[in-house]
Amino acid sequence: MTIVVTDLTVRYGEKVVLNDISLEISSGRWTCLVGPNGAGKTTFLKVLLGMAPYSGSISDQGVEVFKNHNRNVAFVPQSPQIPQGMTVAEYVALGRSKKDGWGNESLKSRALIHKILVQTHLFGMHHNLVTHLSGGEMQRALIARALAQEPELILLDEPTSALDLHHQISVLNNIELLKEEGVTIISTMHDITLAAMFAEQIVIMKEGKVLLSGSSHEVIHSQELKKAFDNRIDVYTLDSGRPVIIASKGEAKEK
Amino acid sequence: MNAERDAIAKIWNWRITAFCALILLFVAIAAVSFGPISINFFKVFKTLFDLPGGASGQDRTVIIQLRLPRVILGVLVGSALATSGAVYQTVFHNPLADPYLLGAASGAGLGATIALTSSHHNLVGALPIFAFLGGVLAVFTSFIISGRFFADPNSLLLSGIAVGSFATAIQTYLQQRHSSALRPVYSWILGDLTSATWSVVGWSAIYIAIALLILFSVAKQLDGLMLSDEEAYSLGINPKKLRIIAVAAATLATATAVSASGLIGFVGIVVPHLVRGLTHRVTNRSLISIAMAGAAFLVLADLGARTLLSPAELPIGVITAFVGAPFFLVVLRNRRKAGQ
Repeated sequence: MTIVVTDLTVRYGEKVVLNDISLEISSGRWTCLVGPNGAGKTTFLKVLLGMAPYSGSISDQGVEVFKNHNRNVAFVPQSPQIPQGMTVAEYVALGRSKKDGWGNESLKSRALIHKILVQTHLFGMHHNLVTHLSGGEMQRALIARALAQEPELILLDEPTSALDLHHQISVLNNIELLKEEGVTIISTMHDITLAAMFAEQIVIMKEGKVLLSGSSHEVIHSQELKKAFDNRIDVYTLDSGRPVIIASKGEAKEK
Repeated sequence: MNAERDAIAKIWNWRITAFCALILLFVAIAAVSFGPISINFFKVFKTLFDLPGGASGQDRTVIIQLRLPRVILGVLVGSALATSGAVYQTVFHNPLADPYLLGAASGAGLGATIALTSSHHNLVGALPIFAFLGGVLAVFTSFIISGRFFADPNSLLLSGIAVGSFATAIQTYLQQRHSSALRPVYSWILGDLTSATWSVVGWSAIYIAIALLILFSVAKQLDGLMLSDEEAYSLGINPKKLRIIAVAAATLATATAVSASGLIGFVGIVVPHLVRGLTHRVTNRSLISIAMAGAAFLVLADLGARTLLSPAELPIGVITAFVGAPFFLVVLRNRRKAGQ
């Protein structure tokens, strides 16, 4: 089962934000959209969610996604609207809304929420207001809510962008909890090294187009990758075999 | 298992709702008892519930024809303003939003001014209709101006401010041209419940009841509007549609309240915050409690308005602001102390 994107084009007025994208995304795996700002990554996530209109086709397990409310898709935005006066537990419980109805968590759901709060290290601060969480804690609360949703697909927009290294890893480990449940994960990420470390599939986007897609290993070691970044990156391989991608000053440095 | 149950508090807490209902009942009966003629509390209770030992004669007339409609109008207007305020605060992600945000007040003010300054005397009697239409039209215009009908909250807010200023400008112009109407317009703006008759109570009850029932029925989903549209959508609601329903119902309640009683400020901001501060829960989850607390607050304010300088009456807006503002500050300070 996969998500099949065919000839996908999205326009905001005159501006073409996504330009004729065709792509397959495997289910149960972590796919990372990588690219500079303005590449159309966030727009891509929004059309995958099914909320924004598009031309072409996006088929999720054989069903067109636009306004299809039967899908269970979790969405973790880059800058969430943080609700006033809501505790962490209530916030995570919102994830059950689709299954139990709004504000009607079943006893089973409560047990699940408890388990998730413990898993994401939010238990103990679950009575705190979400407005008082730090950036890393808020990100974990968002992922906890997504876990509570028991989704088939989760879309994460820059889940690590505002976090320090320690919290980045902690959040990414939490996202891996979703993978253990068999959830398909699609995230955008600036940091291609982190993307290579966690994601199985990488899609390189630029100016609304997909330049390159494939397994993380293929993409990282392909020559196309450097072109996608205007030759402004260097790829190194650590002794452990892990690839590290860092910015370089430009064309001068060909390795 | 206890820890699991403890992890999330039950969302609808009947104790808080019951507490608010009791307070409201007590305040309402007290408000019927007090006045230039004081009537025994228990006698009022018996009269209202048609028990033996109730009042008769003049006392009964005072209770049934004068005070009861006024108290009920207070209940209606107070619950309408408090609930609409809470809903607007959710929809606009703004804890300081009030029911008059989208131009409902300025529009209603303009409608009332047109009625009061017209040369046709029968128009003055139609003031509530003019105020109602003015309020509803202003909000509707805000929606249209904000671009698409399913606008995002921020552009809606801005067009509401623009429409409000425009209506106020016309209102001021009309007042300048008809200085004789200054006083009635001014006194209408301050708001009062003196218009209360059974007929006013009748029509405002219908509209406010419809609006509140709609809002109560979507109260739990309103939590979704506190998130971004994409998150709300992924949790199974249609944020644009829900926003329209919520704003339309809140506007119906506000416009009805304004046309029945003029512009009564502060209820829509103070009461939701107060209930939230006391209950420590999300505004929408206590919407019914907020409605009852708003009703009790306004009935109490009206009791003050008609007894403090008796036999003269204070405008109720003066009381709500005079009590509301410092009370609000205390609540804010306590919240900060509690680290919320």
